[in-house]
Amino acid sequence: MQVRTSLTGPFPRSEALVAATRDLDRGRASAESVEGQFAEDEREVVALEARLGFDASTGGALRWADLFRPFAEGWRGFTVGPVTRWFETNTFFRQPILHAPPERVAGVVRAALPKAEVVPPDRTKVILPGPFTFAGLLDNRSGETREALTHRLGRLIADDVRELRAAGYRTFQFQEPLLVTDPPTGPLAEAAVVAYRSLGAAADGATTIVWTYFGDAAPVQPLLHRLPVGVIGVDLAETEPDQIVPPRDHRGVGLGCLDPRTTLPEDPADVARIATSLRARGHPKELWLGAGGPLDLLPTDAGARKLEVLPATKALLLRSEAAA
Amino acid sequence: MTGPLFPAQEIGSLAKPRWQLLGQRGEPLDAPSVREFQSWNDRIHFADAANPVVRALLEGRSKDVGAEAVRDLGAVFALRYFEAAGLTRVYDGEARRIEMYEYPIRQMQGFQFLGHVRSFDNKYYRKAANTGEVRLERPYHVEEFDFVRDHATGVPKLPITGPYTLADWSYNEYYLGRESGWKGPAARRRAQREFVVEIARKAIRPTLAALIEHGCRVIQIDEPAAGTHPDEADLVAEGFNAATEGLDATFSMHICFSDYRSLFPALLEAKRCDQWAWEFANRDTEERDGYDILRMFAEYGDTRQVGLGVVDVHRSEVETPEKVADRIRRATKILGDPSRIWVNPDCGLRTRTLDVAWQKLRSVGEGARLARAEFERAG
Repeated sequence: MQVRTSLTGPFPRSEALVAATRDLDRGRASAESVEGQFAEDEREVVALEARLGFDASTGGALRWADLFRPFAEGWRGFTVGPVTRWFETNTFFRQPILHAPPERVAGVVRAALPKAEVVPPDRTKVILPGPFTFAGLLDNRSGETREALTHRLGRLIADDVRELRAAGYRTFQFQEPLLVTDPPTGPLAEAAVVAYRSLGAAADGATTIVWTYFGDAAPVQPLLHRLPVGVIGVDLAETEPDQIVPPRDHRGVGLGCLDPRTTLPEDPADVARIATSLRARGHPKELWLGAGGPLDLLPTDAGARKLEVLPATKALLLRSEAAA
Repeated sequence: MTGPLFPAQEIGSLAKPRWQLLGQRGEPLDAPSVREFQSWNDRIHFADAANPVVRALLEGRSKDVGAEAVRDLGAVFALRYFEAAGLTRVYDGEARRIEMYEYPIRQMQGFQFLGHVRSFDNKYYRKAANTGEVRLERPYHVEEFDFVRDHATGVPKLPITGPYTLADWSYNEYYLGRESGWKGPAARRRAQREFVVEIARKAIRPTLAALIEHGCRVIQIDEPAAGTHPDEADLVAEGFNAATEGLDATFSMHICFSDYRSLFPALLEAKRCDQWAWEFANRDTEERDGYDILRMFAEYGDTRQVGLGVVDVHRSEVETPEKVADRIRRATKILGDPSRIWVNPDCGLRTRTLDVAWQKLRSVGEGARLARAEFERAG
């Protein structure tokens, strides 16, 4: 079993970046100086990811105002809507409003990723909204049904995946909290599966991950296992570990083992025990370890401290594997 | 409830006047803030022009006045503002407060502020981790209440952040850390329950007891986080009960901008809550009856008072008295007994200008008068 570690969502902004962006909003700083701070923070996150031995790098998605903003601002058919609660957290996103069937604009996603000189494409993990969550959380005034929209967003995001594959990107993660907080049934569930067929085809052998969080994945596993992706991630703060059923075809499993809703660091031995039990039950090909939700629910130092748990767990697992 | 039907109450914060903000920073008042001061003083008579503090402030000597005296004046301003608008239950518009989380947490031991968390876009808030047993340094809001008690002509109603919200907005480290082994969903819930109840018992209850000792008779416990985790509505109720256990006062619970349906019936276990003071007007549109949710109280046989939000604090468009009266009428039809209803803004009015807030409060009073007249005519 390959054990891999990485960030699974946005990393918290540093206190310096918090101050800089506040100053920008108050007219006390220029956009150029704030961009300098963004770049410095991004370099620091990439250095942290490297120091912790992560298998892929994200740069922390520091410029992403929320999971949907690059699309809501960059694709056609959208406007940026009201501040809306982000699941059961005290944080918010601006709900995209879709006024017409969405049209992809090439290059939008790539522009929102770290530049190649900061993280080479083949080392980058691209984190994108999953089509089911995207379709379910926007304010749909387009006239399309939610099922049709899920299909369509799957196809459009697949076009992005194709564009990025051609540029050398190899790892793609799709954020799907809504799949577990508001699980689909019937035609909507089928729409999600079809959307992922588009994404799977576009990935063309690249690593594809569906990351669920904020909800119990156990009841949704039959559907999750139908999604044609390489790895299925679950949030261990919401899903009891013994309820996780590894896919029968030995695909990868993701464990969201860091809970960003508490500053208390997890014990690597506890996480290793869960992973070992999972390995014994299902022999997944890969195990991805990461945060169970967006790490930017924590202040930056607490977020960095939590991440230390990942290499420590990986080391324990490799040691136990070697001993076995 | 005795007295006229549909009495009015404030629900929380009010925008701080510009003269207060400048004055408490020690900056001389500029011409617009002097005009603002004088224009409000003409309307609600909150300050005596002969008072040396007032004179110094208006003459540009804010530094001589000092921040505390300016805040005192701000508190009196808010009291007179609410009283002149016709409210029965009043407070100081939270003239001395700037937020509702950090201040109470800083009155307790067992917490450590760690840094900023992004709320959205470039907006952030500070969040504390609970790293030790919760203990109260000393009861808070007491001096604030003493001042209000000494200066109010209406009945003071003190707002205080509730235990569930304080817990939900903090990181639970200490109580979760006491759980052994992997901290899965069941362990997290146990730890959160313990955290909420500890804040309630060890910090909020002694504070409420001290406030009651000082004469506070009406207390609003604010639980804006109540709707964040619908499956924890029972913890909101448990925290409320623990905070108020054995205390003799009238208690209300303020909740806003939440999916109320998800809180039923667990929240109704807050047995010591005398009044549900909730936001309704914001959700009352042409397409949707924002008061329909009141049926849930009837469904569960809950006959407690309702603090009815009748004006929206997120829109500057001022509701007409007729609209307010219509909202009261619809709520009464559902609740049955008009004597159960108090009227108020949905939430604190600090997001509106003082002029808009004033007009909205006047509409609350006038709308209540219209509805009252109707009910009295109907006998």
